[in-house]
Amino acid sequence: MSANCTSAAAVSASKTKTKKKHFIGQKVKLFRASEPILSVFMWGVNHTVNELSNVPVPVMLMPDDFKAYSKIKVDNHLFNKENLPSRFKFKEYCPMVFRNLRERFGIDDQDYQNSLTRSAPLNSDSQGRFGNRFLCSYDHRFVIKTISSEDIAEMHSILKKYHQFIVECHGNTLLPQFLGMYRLTVDGVETYMVVTRNVFSHRLTVHRKYDLKGSTVSREASDKEKAKELPTFKDNDFLNEGQKLQIGDDNKKYFLEKLKRDVEFLATLKIMDYSLLVGIHDVERAEQEEMDVEGAGEEEEYENDGMGGGALTGSFGTPPDSPGNPLNCGGFFGPGEFDPSVDVYAIKSRDGAGKKEVYFMAIIDILTHYDAKKKAAHAAKTVKHGAGAEISTVNPEQYSKRFYEFMSNIFVGPTPPPPTHAQLRPGGTGPSHLLHSSSSFLFAPARKLSH
Amino acid sequence: GGEGGGLGSSSIAASIASKTKTKKKHFVAQKVKLFRASDPLLSVLMWGVNHSINELSHIQIPIMLMPDDFKAYSKIKVDNHLFNKENMPSHFKFKEYCPLVFRNLRERFGIDDQEFSNSLTRSAPLNSDAQGRSGARFHTSYDKRYVIKTISSEDVAEMHNILKKYHQFIVECHGNTLLPQFLGMYRLTVDGDETYMIVTRNVFSHRLSVYKKYDLKGSTVAREASDKEKAKELPTYKDNDFINDGQKIYIDGENKKMFLEKLRKDVEFLAQLKLMDYSLLVGIHDVERAEQEEVDSEDNEAEDDGESDGGGVGTPPDSPSNTLDSTKPLSPGEFDPSIDVYAIKSAPRKEVYFMAIIDILQHYDAKKKAAHAAKTVKHGAGAEISTVNPEQYSKRFYDFIATILS
Repeated sequence: MSANCTSAAAVSASKTKTKKKHFIGQKVKLFRASEPILSVFMWGVNHTVNELSNVPVPVMLMPDDFKAYSKIKVDNHLFNKENLPSRFKFKEYCPMVFRNLRERFGIDDQDYQNSLTRSAPLNSDSQGRFGNRFLCSYDHRFVIKTISSEDIAEMHSILKKYHQFIVECHGNTLLPQFLGMYRLTVDGVETYMVVTRNVFSHRLTVHRKYDLKGSTVSREASDKEKAKELPTFKDNDFLNEGQKLQIGDDNKKYFLEKLKRDVEFLATLKIMDYSLLVGIHDVERAEQEEMDVEGAGEEEEYENDGMGGGALTGSFGTPPDSPGNPLNCGGFFGPGEFDPSVDVYAIKSRDGAGKKEVYFMAIIDILTHYDAKKKAAHAAKTVKHGAGAEISTVNPEQYSKRFYEFMSNIFVGPTPPPPTHAQLRPGGTGPSHLLHSSSSFLFAPARKLSH
Repeated sequence: GGEGGGLGSSSIAASIASKTKTKKKHFVAQKVKLFRASDPLLSVLMWGVNHSINELSHIQIPIMLMPDDFKAYSKIKVDNHLFNKENMPSHFKFKEYCPLVFRNLRERFGIDDQEFSNSLTRSAPLNSDAQGRSGARFHTSYDKRYVIKTISSEDVAEMHNILKKYHQFIVECHGNTLLPQFLGMYRLTVDGDETYMIVTRNVFSHRLSVYKKYDLKGSTVAREASDKEKAKELPTYKDNDFINDGQKIYIDGENKKMFLEKLRKDVEFLAQLKLMDYSLLVGIHDVERAEQEEVDSEDNEAEDDGESDGGGVGTPPDSPSNTLDSTKPLSPGEFDPSIDVYAIKSAPRKEVYFMAIIDILQHYDAKKKAAHAAKTVKHGAGAEISTVNPEQYSKRFYDFIATILS
C-alpha cells in the first residue's frame, strides 16, 4: 500500500500540538531511538556508508557486485550500552550496486547517511499490504519499509535488470528508487529493510492519498481506514468522487511516457499488483494551516520524536517558508513551491485549475512476482477469499495494460493518444472508456465507469 | 631491515651511511583510507583502529571512568562476500579492550583521538627490526609517533590486572612519567589466528634519528649485545656494552633532577605491583652526524630508491616535505617536546637523548611459576633472569641509572 508519511504540520482541528524539531549536533551521533532495531538501523547505515567511503568507486559494476554483501556482527561487553544493544548484526546487500543507484538517483552518500542517522526515523501509521512496517527518515526524504525474505529474494532476482533500466532511463522513472537493502538481527530476530525515496514531499503536506491499481474488485477504503488521519483511498473512492488530477498537457504527456515505459518493464519481469500512489497537496489549505499554527504560538508542545507514542505518529512538515526550518537551507519556497531535485515526483496543477494543488505520484509495491502468486494461490485455493479477493486473475501483461489505461484517465484534459499497435491485441480492449473530450473541464462530473 | 609496507609508505627522506636508500614519503589523501598493507594483519589493524575511534566519537566522554570500564571490550566480526576484497580480508575479527579507559589515557597523554587514528590508518605501519624480549614483533606507525607491539595473551591478562592502578598512577602524576604510555590494546583475528597488539607512544623521536641504542636493566649477568645483534643496522646494546664503551649521558642538573624524580616514582610504582625485568631504553641522536647524513642524502637524491627499516630514522628536521611539523621548521637537534616527550637535550654535547622505561608486564609471581616449571632446564635465556625480587630489582635499576647520569 502507500508509503505514507503523514503530514500533520498544522492540524487545527486536532487536539495535538506540534513543536519544532530540534536537530542533534552533527558531530556526535548517538543513534538514540525508541527501539533497539532503529538504533541498529542507524548504526548500520552510518557504518556501511563510512565503509563505502573507503572503497573506491569502480568504473562500472561487475556481476559479482549483484551477489555481494557485507556482514558485521557486534558484541560489546559493558561498553556503549546506552543507546545500542550489546549484540546485533547488520548485513547490507549488494553495497556497490546500491551506491551506484544512489548516485544515479542524484543522492549523495553523505546526505543519505545524514538523513537516516542524525535523528531516529519516524514511525508511520500506514500499513503495507501485509502489515509491513513503514518508517520515514526524520527529514522525510526517505522511506524505510520492512519487507520479507521473499521480497529480498525477488529484489535479487530483478536487481540487474532494474539497474540496467535505471541506467537506460537516466534515473528518470516512476518506479521505486531503491537506495539500500539491509538485514538487521537484534535479539536473534531478523528484520529485512529496504530504503526508497519518499514519493511525497519532505516539506509539503499531503492532504489526500490514493492507492490506485486500475482493478475492479474491492478497491475501496474500509471504514477503519477512513477513520485514520490520512486514509488511503482507492480506485472506487477515486472514481466515486469524480476526482481528476489537474495537470497540464506537457506534464501529463511526460508522466504517461514514463509510466508506459515503467509498466512495460514490470510486465517483462512478470511483476504485478503494484499501485500508483497519489498524494495531493492543497496549497490554500496548507496556507490556512500554517496561519493556524502561528496563531497557536507558544502552546506547541507536541511530541513527534518518532518514539511510537503520541496520538500522531508519522512525520509532519514545517511551514514551507519558516526561517526556522533547517530543511529550507536552499532559500525560501513560496506556498506550493518545491525543489524538484528533492521532491522528484511533484507536479504542479495546471494554471487554469480551480484549486492550486501539487500532486505526488509514483509506482509502489513492485515485488510481487506472478509465479510466486500462482504458487500461493494454489496453496490457498481451498481457503475462502479474504484478502484474496483483491488479487486479480489477470497476468502481468494484462495487469500492466489495465493499470496504464486506468492511470491515463485520472487526469483532466484531452484523451491520451490511443494505444500503439504494440499495445493492442486482437480482440483486446481499446480506449472505450475515455472520459473527456474537452480540456476545459474544471470539475469532473461524478461518473461511474466500468472497467 | 623490514619493508615499510604499502603503497609509497616507506618513509624517510634522509639516507644514512648504510646502503639502503630512502624515498620521500607521499601521503595518501585523507578522505579515502584504503587500509592497504603488505600484510592482512596490518590492514585489519588499520581498519580496526579507524573503526574504534569512529565508534568512540559517538560515545559521550564520561565525567569519570567506572569500574565496569576496566572490564569492558568491544568486539566486531566482519564477513564480506564479494565485497571490498582488494585491501581487506573477507573475514576478520577485531576486539578492543577497555575502550573508554584507553581513550581517557590518550587524553591524559595529550593525544587527540583523530590524530591517533590518522597516525595508524592513513598509511600502513612499518615493520621494525627491533625485537622484544621473546622475539615479539614490532611495528611503528608510518609517522613514527607510535609503536605497535605484538604481545601474548598472558600480557593482555597482566595489563588487565594492572590497568586500574596504572590509570590511577597516570592521573596522579598528570601523565608525567617514564612508564610506557599505553594507548590502545587490541586482539585481531585473521584466518583463524589471534594476534594481540598494544600501542604505545614511541620512546624515540618521530623525526630525529637515533644512531645508538641501549637497553639497560642495571643487571650484572649476560648484559651484552650478541654478534648477531651487532650486525644489525641499529643494534640494541646493553649494560655491559654501555660500560665498556665508556658511554655517558650528559644532561644538566635540572633535567637530571626531573628525570630521576620521575624514575624513582615510576620504579616504586612498579615494585608495588610486583613487576620487574623492565629496561630503560636509551636512544642517542647526534646532531652533527645527522646534519652530515642530510647532506649525504641530498647528494644521493637522484638515486633514492630504497626502503627503510623503521627503527629510529628521522627526516631532516627542516625538510620542506616534512608535513608532520606544520608549524615553523625546526633547526638541527631541535624538537617539539609535546610530541617527542622523552627527548632531553644534552648539556655540553650536541646530542639529544631519548630515555624511558619499557617492558613492564613481567610479574614476579608469573616468573616464579615459570622458573619452577623450567628448573630442570639448563639456563639459556634463563641466565638473564635475575634472582632478585621486584623491590630489589627496582633499587638496583634505579641506582644503575642514577650512576650513568653523572
